Order: sequence, then C-alpha cells, then structure tokens
Amino acid sequence: MIIKIRLERNSDLNFLAKSMKLMAVWLATILVLILTYAQSKSIIAIKGGTILTMTGKTIQNGIILIQGERIKAVGENVKIPRGAKVVNASGKYIMPGIVDAMTYYGIRPFDLNDTSHPVTPQNRIIQAFYPFGDFMRGKGGISPDREILSGGVTTVYIAPGDRQVIGGQGAVVKTYGKSFDGLILREPAAIDITIGDPPKMAFEENKSPVTRMSIAALLRKNLIKAQEYDRSLSSYANKSEEEKKKVEKPKRDLNLEALIRLLHKDIPARVEADLVDDIRTAIRISDEFDFNLIIDSGIGAYKIKNLLAKKKIPVILGPISHPFITGDEVNSAPELMSLMDERNAAQLSKEGVKIAIASFGMGSGRLGRAIQGKLLLLEAGLATGFGLPDEEALKAVTIYPAEILGVDDRVGSIEPDKDADIIILDGPPLKIKTWVEMVFMNGKLVYTKGD
Amino acid sequence: MRSLKLFFQLILALLFIFIVQNSFAESQDSFALQGATIYTAKGAPLQNATVLVENGKIKSIGKNIRIPHAIKIIDVKGKVIIPGLIDNHSHLGVFDSGDANEFPQPIGPENRALDALHLEVPDWMEAVKGGVTTIVTGPGSGERISGQSIIIKTFGDDLDKRILKEGGEVKMAVNAKNLSHIPSIQNTFIKTREYMKNWGKYESGDKKGPPPRRDLGLEAMVRVLKGEERVRCHIHFANDMVTFLKLKDEFGFDLTFEHSSEAYKIADEIAKRNVGCVCLPLITRVGVTDEILRGNAILHKAGVKIAMHTDHPIVQQKWLRLCASLSMRYGLPEDAALRSITINPAEMAKIDDRVGSIEKGKDADLIVLNGPWYELKTRVDMVFVDGILAYDRMKEEKSFEEID
Repeated sequence: MIIKIRLERNSDLNFLAKSMKLMAVWLATILVLILTYAQSKSIIAIKGGTILTMTGKTIQNGIILIQGERIKAVGENVKIPRGAKVVNASGKYIMPGIVDAMTYYGIRPFDLNDTSHPVTPQNRIIQAFYPFGDFMRGKGGISPDREILSGGVTTVYIAPGDRQVIGGQGAVVKTYGKSFDGLILREPAAIDITIGDPPKMAFEENKSPVTRMSIAALLRKNLIKAQEYDRSLSSYANKSEEEKKKVEKPKRDLNLEALIRLLHKDIPARVEADLVDDIRTAIRISDEFDFNLIIDSGIGAYKIKNLLAKKKIPVILGPISHPFITGDEVNSAPELMSLMDERNAAQLSKEGVKIAIASFGMGSGRLGRAIQGKLLLLEAGLATGFGLPDEEALKAVTIYPAEILGVDDRVGSIEPDKDADIIILDGPPLKIKTWVEMVFMNGKLVYTKGD
Repeated sequence: MRSLKLFFQLILALLFIFIVQNSFAESQDSFALQGATIYTAKGAPLQNATVLVENGKIKSIGKNIRIPHAIKIIDVKGKVIIPGLIDNHSHLGVFDSGDANEFPQPIGPENRALDALHLEVPDWMEAVKGGVTTIVTGPGSGERISGQSIIIKTFGDDLDKRILKEGGEVKMAVNAKNLSHIPSIQNTFIKTREYMKNWGKYESGDKKGPPPRRDLGLEAMVRVLKGEERVRCHIHFANDMVTFLKLKDEFGFDLTFEHSSEAYKIADEIAKRNVGCVCLPLITRVGVTDEILRGNAILHKAGVKIAMHTDHPIVQQKWLRLCASLSMRYGLPEDAALRSITINPAEMAKIDDRVGSIEKGKDADLIVLNGPWYELKTRVDMVFVDGILAYDRMKEEKSFEEID
C-alpha cells in the first residue's frame, strides 16, 4: 500500500517502481521456495511398512514425517514434501523406540548401592550415570552403545541398586544423544525403595534393618520426618518478612527435600517388592502417607491383581526368562521361586493393571534377575506364549512404561509432536528371528544393522 | 461236533485277542501320536506323521504306519513333536542347599553328585514343563576337580530307572588367570598314571604282599585315562583352552569344554581334536556380547559338535529350548540348533543309544509343542518321559483358571 501511494505521487518513477515491485515479488517467491526446500530437506519421510503406533490404529503402508527432532505427521495419506529424505520401509515393521522401565544402564557396579546407610534419599543416580563409553577410550562426547541400540532400546529408567531401604532418586534417560543434559528426560523421576530381603542382607551384622519390620519402620520414620520438615518449611514461608527475621530459617536437608517431592506427588515411589506380603506393605505405607506408588519386580503381583487394579497401581515386571534367585541373595528364595509364575504379566494385564516388562539389566543389584536390555523385545515375546496378547506385550515395552515413568509426552508412541525415536524392524516384532534394522533418535539415524 | 469245536476255538481266539488288546489299552506307556510335524533330530522333519510308542519305547515313526487295534490314539494334528530335550550341563538337584561345591577340597574326583541329589525340589517338574527330559547334573566349578556327575531323567517314580549313568563324567574347572589351576590338574593326571602302574604291577604279579592303597578319587581318574569316562571342563578363556588341549594331547582323555565362552576363537584347534563344546547359556548373562552370541555358529561351521546348556540355576532348566532359539537368532542353522539340545548332548554323554532323537527302539521321550519349536510364543503342550505322560498343559491351565 505504501509503495502504491508513493508511486501515484511520483509518476516519473512509475516504471522503475513497477519493475522493483515485480522483482520484490519474485525475490519473495524465491525466498519462500528456498526456505521451503531447506525445510523439507531436513524432513525425513519413512515410507511404507506396517506402523505400530502403540496409541492409535496400526497403519499399513503409511508414512511418518520427521521434522527436526520431532514426529511431524503419521498416517496413510500423509503427503511427502518435495525434497524430503525418503526412507523406504516397505515390508518392514515400524514402531516407537523401546522403553525399558527398570535398568542399571550406564551405572558402574560399585556406584549402585550406598551401603553406608540404609536410607539415602538424597542420592541421585544421574550422578553415577556414565554414557561416555569405555573409561579413557573413545572419540569424546556421548558414546553410541551399539549393543543397546541393536535391541531398539531408546529410553531407560536408571535406578540405584536395591540393597537399601531407600536407595535414592532414579532418572529417565535416553540411550543416545548430543550432550549429557540432552539425554535426560526426567530427573528426579522417582524415589527407589526396597521392601524385602535385599536390604536385610546388605549391612553389617547387628545393624538394622535385619527384618521386614525394621524396613517398614525406617520408611515410616523418615516419611514422618519429611512431613514435619515440610510443615516447618511452609510455616516459615508463610511468615511475614518481619517475623522471618526473628526466627531461624529451617536448615536445608537434601534427604528430606527428596522425600517431600514424594509427599507432594511430584514424583512417585518405586517400591521393589516381590512377596505378596511385601507388596501389601508397600500399599499400606503409600495409603498412610498418600504418595503415588509403582511396584517394581512384583513376582507375586498376580495374587492380588484385583487390589492393584482397584488402586490403579502399575507394576514393572522383571524378566521371566532369567528368574535366578539364590539363598545367598535373599532369605525367601524358595518362597519366591515357588511364587513365580510366567503368567503374571497376562493375569495382571487382563485385570486392567498397567504393566511394563523391563530388563533390570546392566547392574549387580540383582544380577540373577536381569537380562540384557537388547533382548527386551524378545522377553515381551515370551510373555505372549503365556497369555499376554501381542499388542499388550508391545505396549508393555513402549507406551505403558512411558506413561508409568511420566514421559509419555515425549516418547512411547508414534504420534505427532513426540520425539522422533523410531525403530524399523525386518519382520514382525516378538519373533525370535526379527532384528532391528534402523534406529532413529531425536530424528537422527543413530543405528543401522550391520554397520 | 466238529463245528462246535471250531466254534469254541474261535471264541477262545477272540478272547485271547480281546485280552491282549485290553492289556495294550491299559498300559499307560503305549500310544500313538498322530498328525504332527515330527522333528526327529536326525534328518528332515516328517509332515503329518505318526509316532507309535509301545511299552515306553518308540516302535515306529512315519506317515503310513500300522497302528495296532485298541492302542490309544492321541490326535496332535497341527502340533510339532521334537525329542525330549537334553541338557549337558546342569546343577539341578545338586545346587540346592549349598551342596554343589566342596570348596575346601580343590581336587575331589571321588565326590559324587548322586550323594547330594535333592529329588524333592520343584525344579524337576519345572524342567519337565520346559520339555527337558534328561540332564547331566553335577558339582559346581569352585574346585579344580569337583567330582563326578550323574545323567538322569527329570521324571519318573523309580530312581534307579531314572538314572542313565552314575559316576564318571568328571567335572573340572579352569578359571582364568590363575597359574596354579592347570598344573594341579596335570599333577593329578601324573599321580593317576603312577597309581595305575602300581596296581598294574600288583595285579600282573603274584599278588603277594599288601595291595596298593585304594584311592577313590584316583579310581575315578583311572577310568578317565582308560577312556571310559569323559572330562567335563568348565572353561571360558581361549588361552586356557589351548593349554587344556595340550593336556589332552599329553594324557589322551575324552573331553568336552563347558561354557566355552571363547571357544570360537580357536574353533579349528578344537575341531581338530574332536572335542565337543557345551556352550554358554545365551539368555542373559550380563556382558555377553553379540560376538560371543555368534560364537556358536562359528563353532558349528568349523565342525565342532556343540550343545546348549542352561547351567541351571544360572538360567532356569526349563529355558533350555530358548537357549537354542537364541543361538539360531545369532546364526546357527535351525536343524543344528535343535540338535544342540537333543542328539548332540546325548552323543557327548554317550547316551544316544537311549535318548536324543526320535528313532525306533529309543526311549519314548517326546515333546508336543503348539508351534515352531524355536519361536518365543510356542509352548510345550505335552511331555512324555519313557512313554508316560509327565505333563499336560491343558490340565494345568485349567487348574490355574480355577484358582482365580
């Protein structure tokens, strides 16, 4: 408009202005074209194949558009922008990156258990997390771990070991990324607690806890301390500036700060409990102190599936293919072994309990109960033999763990706006001979089989 | 009159047939499994075939075999039948109550697994449910020579009948980076030779004077040197294997490597000496890399006879089939993978005249599966041990639902 007005005022320059106007239009068009092209060039389109979205319907011969680090679109009728990089996946199976809800991934064994004290909520496992490959080797930066990527595992929960009553705070991290901080999805993500034999056998003789009674009492005592601390903090915060000057500010206490997060429901408690009675104790204490509860391992969970379903308590199950428990490790090994049933997952799922199947891998916390993370998809396959429907088995290693870990806004399914963590398999998942061929993380191809 | 006689004869004959047939029908260990795909572990699978079992032994296998009247026919159309699985390296029954390792005694070939065998633990039935019907179970690996093993079926009322072989199968263990391990085993072999010599002298002489002192441990070792028993050596590192092979060259004994983590690195050396490899439990061990997982295929290609093992309780006995499936995932051909849990371990333990394949005359140890034997989803439906139905999944599933 402005140009037009000026042109009318100065007709001598009419011609020049006209050509300038034309040029401007052309320039703008070219600019738009270049920008579109540049943008579409950064778009990856995965074309064809069976897309197991995990939240919506399975899409046959669909298209997934990845822009930058995120999924832009997914569907049957998605248009591939010109210039997009096309990955041909026809005949393949495509699903979100595997989420392993319980691991000691990247934690050196000696960092797992702080056996100086049975209760150390202040400890944060992220401070022991080591994603830099082998010590004093490698090119620098985050080191891609081809073994874990070969299993399609892109997100893991990392936990302190289970030898303490309260081991500390766990984290949700990705298995590969640009920077250390870039790996972190959620931290702290939960408080890790153990009710059962491991804490009874971890400490010196004549040092509590040596019974389950003492474990429960320790939990209660510390949670009460946290309640009191919480009250004193808020009563101080509610004081006027004048009053604040008169009294002493409550001292900081990292242990209690961690437990307050639990009491405020900012993060849940993950309680490793296997015997039915231990699971009941966990539920009892969570009721008393009103915090969110997740059961870890849960060998006997199927026995109280109704209660777990009613209270909407999710269960993160350990592997069934490697349930090696010995008397050296836990007093109640024989009881646990007879309690163990491969139909646990199916029974819980049928009852409506949200389950995740996890590897418990890469650590010494419970060596006997662990599988390697790269085999997690196979472990889910085994569960299907014992009555778990295929779809539920796949969800138990993708969207369900993402939801339980509180990171389902970022990972766990193939949906627009989620992180582009996508794996391409050469056959149906859950089959023994199916392999992960490609892994995309944050929109980048980070693993190709055979490379 | 004559026709009456004939009539009576006929009646008698019919009665006889009736009695004979009834006795068949009543005997639990005679039946025919009809309509399955049968993997015999020897040769190509037979489609839509029948296996006939009489008195606990396999009578015949094939498509058009004659089935005697009144014998029970079990319809297994669409199912898969494989031989009862064999684990060449287990500690089932021995491990319990801390009886696997006599730690204070590094050289103890006289120790016998049978004397530590816990038969009442539930693991035996769990093994059956997984389709494992025969195991070589023995002492642990905490000592250099930990003792003698036992080869036993996982199911049956009569212990004596269950045992295929007791004693022998001498278990040794070489753990990496301990220089004393192999010399102490070598010393035992040297002592054994002397012991043999002394007894030889005594027995070939006039037997005057006192006989040499008996030594139970060396007696077992003598059987090893005579080639009657094999040595089962727990071993992980390739350099230890090279050394141990030299020991074999020196003393000439029958040998299998157990666990065999790095055997693939010296596959030719092993193949050359005809030493079998009992390979790593593949499921989980933290730190087992893809290279090692592919090792089994490398050994197979080099011509080494391999057998999967669970090392129960390291991997639970019932998952033996999964160990073979995994080795197939990591490159072992399907038929070789099946052989690694059936006929190969049987041949290594020299019990292949009884078990390990579905062949005429062998024990009727049979597994009925509801899908391909190697697939994750596939379950064991029925297990027969010596022709006796040891496990029927349908019954168990039903009882589980009732508990609900």
